[in-house]
Amino acid sequence: MDRRNSTEPLVTVRDLAFYRDERPIFQDLNLTVAKGSVTAIMGGSGSGKTTLLSLIGGRLVPARGAVTVAGEVVASLPRKLLFALRRRMGMLFQSSALLTDLDVYENVAFPMREHTRLPEALIHDLVLMKLEMVGLRGARGLFPAELSGGMLRRVALARAIALDPMMVMYDEPFTGLDPISMGVIVKLIRELNDALGMTSIVVTHDVDEACTIADYIYLIGEGRVIAEGTPADMKKTDAPEVRQFMGGLPDGPVAFHYPAPRYFDDLLRADRP
Amino acid sequence: MQARSMELTVGLFVMAGLLALAMLALKVGNIHALNLGGTYAVTADFNDVGSLKPKAPVTVAGVRVGHVARITINPQTYQAVVTLDLLKKYRFPRDSSASIETAGLLGEQYVSLSPGGSRRYLKNGSKIRITQSAIILEKIISQLLYSKAGHSSGHS
Amino acid sequence: MSWGADTIRALGRRVISGIGRLGHAVLFLVRLMPGLGVALARGRLIIQQLYMTGVLTLVIVLVSGAFVGMILALQGYNTLVRYDAQSSLGLLVALSLVRELGPVLTALLFAGRAGSALTAEIGLMKATEQLDGMEMMAVDPLPRVVAPRFWAGWIAVPLLAMIFSAVGIIGAYIVAVGDLGLDGGVFWSQMQSGVSISNDIMGGLIKSVVFGFVVSWIAVFEGYDAKPTSEGVSRATTRTVVSSSLAILGLDFIMTAFMLRGL
Repeated sequence: MDRRNSTEPLVTVRDLAFYRDERPIFQDLNLTVAKGSVTAIMGGSGSGKTTLLSLIGGRLVPARGAVTVAGEVVASLPRKLLFALRRRMGMLFQSSALLTDLDVYENVAFPMREHTRLPEALIHDLVLMKLEMVGLRGARGLFPAELSGGMLRRVALARAIALDPMMVMYDEPFTGLDPISMGVIVKLIRELNDALGMTSIVVTHDVDEACTIADYIYLIGEGRVIAEGTPADMKKTDAPEVRQFMGGLPDGPVAFHYPAPRYFDDLLRADRP
Repeated sequence: MQARSMELTVGLFVMAGLLALAMLALKVGNIHALNLGGTYAVTADFNDVGSLKPKAPVTVAGVRVGHVARITINPQTYQAVVTLDLLKKYRFPRDSSASIETAGLLGEQYVSLSPGGSRRYLKNGSKIRITQSAIILEKIISQLLYSKAGHSSGHS
Repeated sequence: MSWGADTIRALGRRVISGIGRLGHAVLFLVRLMPGLGVALARGRLIIQQLYMTGVLTLVIVLVSGAFVGMILALQGYNTLVRYDAQSSLGLLVALSLVRELGPVLTALLFAGRAGSALTAEIGLMKATEQLDGMEMMAVDPLPRVVAPRFWAGWIAVPLLAMIFSAVGIIGAYIVAVGDLGLDGGVFWSQMQSGVSISNDIMGGLIKSVVFGFVVSWIAVFEGYDAKPTSEGVSRATTRTVVSSSLAILGLDFIMTAFMLRGL
């Protein structure tokens, strides 16, 4: 199972800083994703996990530092080369982002039609192959509105791997799924990664699932990496931040309360209505 | 299958739009004003054209045979020079006369031709000699009032 | 005193933000330009959108056109008959429809029926990350999603306006000849002697082409610019209808003034 024998990095993030409306999201973030691995990036809500995927995909530009994917510095690529790079990346959005006016078959065929000039017969075979991998060959005629959340995510996954990318990014793939659908997605991420020789980046806050599939875990918070390691390392560690997150404790280094003046002072404020 | 019927509907829609345009051009608009058969121009001098405008119809016995092309003024005589474009398929004697008339009491003004008896015909650049200016209602009324006024003052 | 200053400041703010929005809309159009050519090469997408916008607006245009024509005939007859000029009814109806009501009402109906739908569709695609998804699949949504809709709207409005005028005139004919007892020949001949192809029909066509451009532009811009939330999309939809209607009427005034002065 351990495919981390190749330590050659596919994605490296160096000294990354990013601000949204003056508010720092990342400061000096450093991480690497090894080729062929499943890397989980974990963190609380609002810790900028999705923003990180946007930075890797080149949809946002960092204020400082650099994101390198397959040897290319993403932010410095001209649009044409950036699009060429994105063709080799798949991305699974939390909301599935399927095109609602196309049926399942056409959604999976969409990247092929946009980027290749393959004959219709070949597209047909490829689409059915991808749908077979996610177990939805029989649902090819349905529209996104007719599918359940788990099926939507599987179709989106089939679409993400339509062009056989070198890497797939998953944005919260486990959120809002029933246990069975969740199990299916967990299994698919691992299997597709190994069968197709891809690299996977999974952004999530679901501790158990992340530990099940990931080869390596980064825990981010306050704009930097708090802890990193294999799932086993993470479970063993004594660092209080990690313990709080992995154990799901309500209060700890990550405070329960949003920063506020003292409760007592606030109640006695003269400007009460 | 599905795409086919959509294409068909869109095709029908575009055709309906073009047909509507054709109907507006042929049935509503005056396609004859485009002078598909070609025209020849004759001129006529009038003392007063009233409110005659370019594009007004030219008729013979009530049938439209052309339209007013231009209205200018002759700097020597200070008469109005009206250029008429007549359809090539009609020929009129050289001693025809032109008059400016009004359709109804308040209607628009047009040029009416009365054919003469000559054996020679008007051609491009000819001039119609005999003309009858526009009847201007206000002038007639004021003449009438003046003559009345003169009459009554003489009486007292 | 301060109330007056506040009011003026609020007005100033509105004007500045309005100009800013116009600037954004123009920039958006400039960014869309290369996509327009790309989309033209993929006519299939435009045909699909023509179906969604044009064909689905057709019914309301047909019904409205017929009613407007019939109402014009009834009202026009009642006025003209006082001057014994009811023979000019056909001319009155045709000029009103071809020059003014056809292009303007069609554009207003289109903005309400299809323009708002365009905005909502693009806005929802944005809200549900469909546009982001396309970007990540290395597909630029401007030529793929926005440009075909823009083309379709631009093409559909003039066609619909012509249909509106034609149906309106037929409706007026039915009322005038069938109900009011006018002579059919007089109805058409008066019309033909007074409606000029180069001025009136072309003028109406030019107006509807301009309206089609502006309404489609506003609709796709508002959709693309919408906040990706359900509230943002619903606001954008409202803005499309309001700004399109104002733009149509304002531009109509300007174009009418120029056309009647013969420029």
